[in-house]
Amino acid sequence: MKENINGKQGKSSRRIFLKKIGVGAGAVSVAGIAGVSAFSAKDNNRSGLTVKLLSPDGKLVEVDQDDIKPAREIVADLKEVARKGLPDRKFGMVIDLAKCKNARKCVEACQEGHLLPKDHEWMKLYLLQDDRNTAKYWFPRPCFHCDKPMCVSVCPVGATYKRPDGIVLVDNQRCIGCKFCMTGCPYSARVFNWKDPEVRLPEGHVYDPETNIPPVEGTVGKCVFCADNLRINKLPRCVTACPMGVIYFGDLLEDTVTNGEETVRFSKLMTDRAGFRYREELGTLPSVYYLPPMQRMFPIERGLDGYDENIKGRYKEAGPR
Amino acid sequence: MKTRLSTTIFSLSFFLMFSLSLFSQGKSVISPYIQLQYFKNSDNSHLLKTTLTYSLNRMEIPLQGMEISFFSEAGGKKLLGKTLTDKIGVALLELKEINNLSLTEEGGWSFSTEFKGNDTIEAGSSELSIKDVKLEMALLEVDSIRTISLKAFTTENKKEIPVSGEVVMVYVPRMFSLLSVGEASLDENGSALLEFPADIPGDKEGNLTIISRFEEHPSFGNVELRETKQWGLPSTNSAPVAHRALWTKTAPRWMIITLSVLLTGVWGHYLFAVISLIRIKRESNKQKKMKS
Amino acid sequence: MQADKKLLKDLTPELESTGTGWYITFTIFLGLFIVGIYGLVQQIDKGHIVTGMRDNVVWGFYIVNFIFFMGLSYSGALISGVLHLFHTGWRKPIIRMAELITVISLVIGPFFIFFCIGRLDRLYFLFTHPRIQSPITWDVIAICTDLIGCFIYLYLSFIEDFAILRDYDELNVAPWKKKLYKILSLGYDGSPIQAKLLANARTIMATMIIAIAIIVYSVLAWIFGVTLQPGWHSTIFGPYFVIAAVFSGTGLLIILMWIFRKVYHLEEYITQRHFINVGVLLTVIAAFYGYFTFSDYLTKWYGSIKMDSILIDKLFSEYYSLFIFANYIGILLPGIIIAFPRFRTIRNITVAAVIALLALWVNRYIIVIPTLETPFLPIQDTRPDWIKYSPTWIEWSLTFAGVSIFAMLFMLVSKIAPIISISEMQEKDKDEILK
Repeated sequence: MKENINGKQGKSSRRIFLKKIGVGAGAVSVAGIAGVSAFSAKDNNRSGLTVKLLSPDGKLVEVDQDDIKPAREIVADLKEVARKGLPDRKFGMVIDLAKCKNARKCVEACQEGHLLPKDHEWMKLYLLQDDRNTAKYWFPRPCFHCDKPMCVSVCPVGATYKRPDGIVLVDNQRCIGCKFCMTGCPYSARVFNWKDPEVRLPEGHVYDPETNIPPVEGTVGKCVFCADNLRINKLPRCVTACPMGVIYFGDLLEDTVTNGEETVRFSKLMTDRAGFRYREELGTLPSVYYLPPMQRMFPIERGLDGYDENIKGRYKEAGPR
Repeated sequence: MKTRLSTTIFSLSFFLMFSLSLFSQGKSVISPYIQLQYFKNSDNSHLLKTTLTYSLNRMEIPLQGMEISFFSEAGGKKLLGKTLTDKIGVALLELKEINNLSLTEEGGWSFSTEFKGNDTIEAGSSELSIKDVKLEMALLEVDSIRTISLKAFTTENKKEIPVSGEVVMVYVPRMFSLLSVGEASLDENGSALLEFPADIPGDKEGNLTIISRFEEHPSFGNVELRETKQWGLPSTNSAPVAHRALWTKTAPRWMIITLSVLLTGVWGHYLFAVISLIRIKRESNKQKKMKS
Repeated sequence: MQADKKLLKDLTPELESTGTGWYITFTIFLGLFIVGIYGLVQQIDKGHIVTGMRDNVVWGFYIVNFIFFMGLSYSGALISGVLHLFHTGWRKPIIRMAELITVISLVIGPFFIFFCIGRLDRLYFLFTHPRIQSPITWDVIAICTDLIGCFIYLYLSFIEDFAILRDYDELNVAPWKKKLYKILSLGYDGSPIQAKLLANARTIMATMIIAIAIIVYSVLAWIFGVTLQPGWHSTIFGPYFVIAAVFSGTGLLIILMWIFRKVYHLEEYITQRHFINVGVLLTVIAAFYGYFTFSDYLTKWYGSIKMDSILIDKLFSEYYSLFIFANYIGILLPGIIIAFPRFRTIRNITVAAVIALLALWVNRYIIVIPTLETPFLPIQDTRPDWIKYSPTWIEWSLTFAGVSIFAMLFMLVSKIAPIISISEMQEKDKDEILK
């Protein structure tokens, strides 16, 4: 289902913010805005003054003045909450190389969801062939959110960090653009904003590392496992967009992954289908597992159909190195 | 002459309007897909759900903000309620007084849903016949094997009639979806036993929720039972707290110590050199004083 | 403080007056510098897209220049420290040049890092939010420490000369210079207590400088060495970079010796003997450098690790001429020139030094860029500037700007302090007296 970006992002970032600080309500309402007060330390000195505001739903509401937080504090709260992550979770992804046919719907959904310029690909598709005798296969590569992330180790200012729930995020407001993380990542998972991306932001947008919108010139961006979706128990955008159900995602502590249609036990999937990780010997312990490309239903070249030279030309020299 | 002219004008304009309306109808009138579902939840609440969508380029687009009416058809058409469809095209109505509804000859309910349509969307309707089924689930430990005991029956004239040959699905809800744990076929007594796997992770204490349901049954609709039990493996997060590594916030102790020792050593020597410079200056001042 | 009249007469004219040649040269360098600044303004305005760096080759000319200049600095420190501690006689005319190389390149090097940083407005985060697990933080600490240390060391070596100049009444310089000498000499007048203080301080700082130089440049080498990239993940990088740095610094020292000898008419002080001595040093270091290079590439080539093989193939196909120049000609030519007495003329040795210096710049380029062009996941792209690194005019102009500012600073310093340390030269007389 296509998401309506313009309306959605502006409303949901505030919605999501309120969710994050503990408000359970799904719809933003007066109760939702006033719910801030439950976590405010200023309960003793309430002025009792109220202010009339327009809620994101378009309703005129009256809110206690004490419950209104300045925007700067909201950003600081969002960044703080983004560093903590979701409690008691460990996210992982399984990509079934047997089914991928380079539909590139994952790439498009990701770019749309994060307002990326067209030449930024957080999810990238490679055409690989390990040896001339082995099979060619399409290889979708998101950020692996490694358990021993080289990129986090080398960041001099702590702009990129590993959360307890396994996700590695980038704080666009801390990044100084030294690009050490890009040389540190062996999987080329990070992209750099070499110029002003000129993104049209929705109104009322507040910076949140979990969506990492907007991309900022001179900083680094990468796949974030759609951490904003995960907060509302929604799957990452690439997972739902894939027409072949190639990408499975789940909480590995629950030992379950789903691609939106099938839900399977992660351990069973790994054992039955001989799952592996890309270049395990590098020891970064990625959170993304792959299923071998066996019993293909269609030839590899089908993956080039319908694309222009910009895409097709990439794979002209694909083959064993 | 005058009447003839006016008649011509009148009939022409009438024809024009008629053809215009035909023309506008042929432009872009959407033919929606309307689906009615019935839900009976674990807390015995009953729900009617209508989904209103239309097809575009092989994708289902939801229709939002449309007014949907729900009716009970048995014993005469009775309006149950009206709600608007939400962002995903779903309109929900909770049936609070379902037991007061008239029953059909087969002893069940008959529901219908209607969408009146508008300028751009055609009207649509759907019907559903539901027989009330009672589903019972017991979570037992038989010979130290965790078993789910299921029983389903319908009630007719205050007598329990077991439901046999039907399939009940059992799930454990996970973060994004439901994990299927098994399917149970009800025998001639309307009961079934299903072994529950012993290795499903639960929360930190090992609690998990078990759902058993009839899914989109042609007569029963969707009937569900949920229960939480400590039948899961306790899950622990693999990342230990207060961990010190290259990628954590706090550095390993040996790193901090080594760095501090090195820097103190080096800057200590710098201090010595600067002190020497100061002493040189003081010496020269002393000598100047002595000279003068 | 008193000094030998002859020394003063020979070594101070440059402080007193400046020839037109100096001004012309300075203006040329200034022009190049301004072109570089214009390029920098373009880069700040339009973003880093105006450089040749792209998502795979994220470090280009700027990092190469950074390593190069820092290498010159640390080698200057090593050479001046070692020469000072070992009291070798022939070091006297050249030791100040070595110390100046240390400080001037140390000041220029970090600027190349700044050019590479995407968000210069957030540079201070390196000090407010440092992560000590990051090799860049180690490098920031190291460079700051080294900067202070080298300045202290340089100043210590200037004090005696400033005292001499302050007391040289026939010195015909502008009043502000005289005042400068007076202030900076701290009232030093060669008394035993002061001399002892100064000598102790210099010895300690010289020892420190050697240790710091080695550690600091190794830290810079480890920025590359600790990553997983093929070609960089080499255990030899620490010592390798140090040796390469000393090689380049020695080459630069010979070049500067030649320039100042010619332009400031110092033929009497900087003789062929000096050139030969430093040239021998160059050859010895070249041998070590060649040994380390050979060792690194032999082990990569012999083993069958795929990524290493891909890198070696790239070096011997796309980068063949650069590789041969840096690692064969750069080592063998100086060696041959110095080895045969027939070839050991001042001019030849200087030519060898120039080749060595250029070869080492190319060596840094070969270390940084080919590795980034061969990542584990192949670059599958259609845009040529994303596949192969091609530096733009901005990167070239900033490189030349760096060289220009180096030359300009050197020229300016040579007008304030004598390029050959008078006090050092005088010490010769004391040794002879003791004999």
